[in-house]
Amino acid sequence: MGDQTAISIKNVSKAFKIYMDKPLTLKEKVLKLRSNEYSNFFALKDVNLDIKKGETIGLIGHNGCGKSTLLKLITSILYPDSGEINVVGRISSLIELGAGFHPDFTGRENIYINASIFGMSKKEVDQKIDEIIRFSELGEFIENPVRTYSSGMYMRLAFSVAINVNPEILLIDEILSVGDVNFQKKCYDKLEGFKLNGATIVIVAHDLGTIEKICDRVIWMDKGEIVAQGEADRIIDLYTQHMNKQFIEQRQQEISIEKTADPVRIEDNSEVGNSAVKKTLDISDDNRWGSREVEITEARLVNPKGVTTNILSAGETVVIEIDYKVNSPQKEYIFGVGFYTAEKVLIYGNNTQIGKMKLQKINNSGTVKFKVSQCNFLSGNYKLNVAIVDGDHRALDFIKFYMDFTIVSNDKAVGITSIDHNWELV
Amino acid sequence: MFKELKAIFNYREMLVSIVRRDLRSRYKGSILGFLWTFVNPLMQLIVYSIVFPYILKMDQENYPMFLFIALLPWIFFVSSLQGTTTSIVAGGNLVKKIYFPRIILPLAVVCTNLMNYIYGLVIIFSALLLTGVDLTLNVFWLPLILLIELIFILGLGLIFSALYVKFRDLEHIVGNVTFILLYLTPIVFPITIFPEKMAEVLGYNPMVPIINSFRDILLNGKQPEWGSLSYSMIVGVCVMVVGVIVFKKCEKTFAEEL
Repeated sequence: MGDQTAISIKNVSKAFKIYMDKPLTLKEKVLKLRSNEYSNFFALKDVNLDIKKGETIGLIGHNGCGKSTLLKLITSILYPDSGEINVVGRISSLIELGAGFHPDFTGRENIYINASIFGMSKKEVDQKIDEIIRFSELGEFIENPVRTYSSGMYMRLAFSVAINVNPEILLIDEILSVGDVNFQKKCYDKLEGFKLNGATIVIVAHDLGTIEKICDRVIWMDKGEIVAQGEADRIIDLYTQHMNKQFIEQRQQEISIEKTADPVRIEDNSEVGNSAVKKTLDISDDNRWGSREVEITEARLVNPKGVTTNILSAGETVVIEIDYKVNSPQKEYIFGVGFYTAEKVLIYGNNTQIGKMKLQKINNSGTVKFKVSQCNFLSGNYKLNVAIVDGDHRALDFIKFYMDFTIVSNDKAVGITSIDHNWELV
Repeated sequence: MFKELKAIFNYREMLVSIVRRDLRSRYKGSILGFLWTFVNPLMQLIVYSIVFPYILKMDQENYPMFLFIALLPWIFFVSSLQGTTTSIVAGGNLVKKIYFPRIILPLAVVCTNLMNYIYGLVIIFSALLLTGVDLTLNVFWLPLILLIELIFILGLGLIFSALYVKFRDLEHIVGNVTFILLYLTPIVFPITIFPEKMAEVLGYNPMVPIINSFRDILLNGKQPEWGSLSYSMIVGVCVMVVGVIVFKKCEKTFAEEL
């Protein structure tokens, strides 16, 4: 281990025992009333990591990926099953706020208790107490019992103690979201101060913006392993893309499950003329009007894999399919679609007439498809209109806000839609 | 071992502040406040000294003091054991979230109870003077006897607190065993009331010589019986060694088991 390494983690693995049914009492142990079986859950698998002195490291990953476990191993709250962890320097871990607070004691008394649990001596606290109280913005409330505090005050006090210990190595676990904007800014200033003083910082957070702002290096963990590490912006980009993809897949799965659980729909799709059960769409009259001489039986979004969905990845192909049924033939038909924002502002509307498609004779039932080769909306929720009108634009079946759908985009720009662009400095 | 002692030393402020917090929080908000520390044993003293002679019809001289001198170290013993047994689990929130030498938790319980005993000494000494007992220089053996009791209690406390994490029956077992032991240790009556054979067996309880020594130096103005007291000390040290080993072995998984 070089002089410059603050934390060195070598081949560290950690498994938790997940008991099927944990025996806790003598009777149960003797009688074997409950099974003693357990399975191992690997929170960390053979992790190697060197953190240099003065570095600020961000740990990211979805829930259960092992980042908090890693932090607990570094502070030696937990111990590894195999491998080695070496830490050089005094550790301060901001994993729990307000440790040892007693509700009946005043804020000032609790500062001493809390700080002593962080390993500070009374003398050190004496020197810092004014600064801690000032930082907490509690003013004269500091002389009141902690039980009278609001949760915001409580957290501010707890945080002020925690952040005013003078650490060589600081471990932070998702606690930076305390207080109002100004208080948070103070906390970040404090962290910047630690960085300047050469402290090593390891942060776990879900707020990627924070991580990107203050970390020199980001480590992305998944299933107990390090997936990627490197420059903050690069890793965070990779991670967001991965998370977006996963989010869509997950939602997609939920939709498929719903579909199979609803056999009536499948029947309907098979043969329209045959369906004894008259299918009615569940849409209130406020949002649906028209003579119903031609009726929309169903509309759906289909993703590139050919799966019906209501969540899409930006930049992909999407097809809107409208099933119709002619009850009494018309001279001409116009099919239309419209996209709205969640605030019901029209983004884009189009119909077969605009598309120079004259439909005069159509089958009694069938499907019209609106193919979008690239859907460039930004992340958010949107609404879809579908409609059939006749040649004179008289509504046959007009359904407003037929369905909601979600777009997940990797573009961090703001607004509604992405625009193909390049920045240039001339 | 040296490393562990150093870790405890580094966290002595935590120990002190937890003990102070526990001592003070007990009576926080009550009008008498800290005075309850004295009122509680005083009440016990009064009630026991009326009830027991009446029931037992003993001709023990100065029975209230005979009882009280033994009762306070016994309360120290029992409440320490009950407190330490649950100490790790009760401090689970800290154990799971923060690093500190885990031994601080049971240690703090023992220290808190030790402080309560020391406050009780104020009552003991004033009552001894009031009842006209002649104090001798042998009183100065008190810290030594107390230290032997402390070692024994801490050793047991370490074992129980570590095992309780996995084995939750222990709390009730400890409660019941200490309840029975109260009557098998010469607290409320002298050991002479048992048949000789039984008294001999009961003497193997390390608390018996400790209690007898307290009586010897405070009430009888004698030196402790060194033979039996050193037996208690040897047992105490052994228990302590076992306690440290058991605790060390278990403490690494505390955060997971809780």
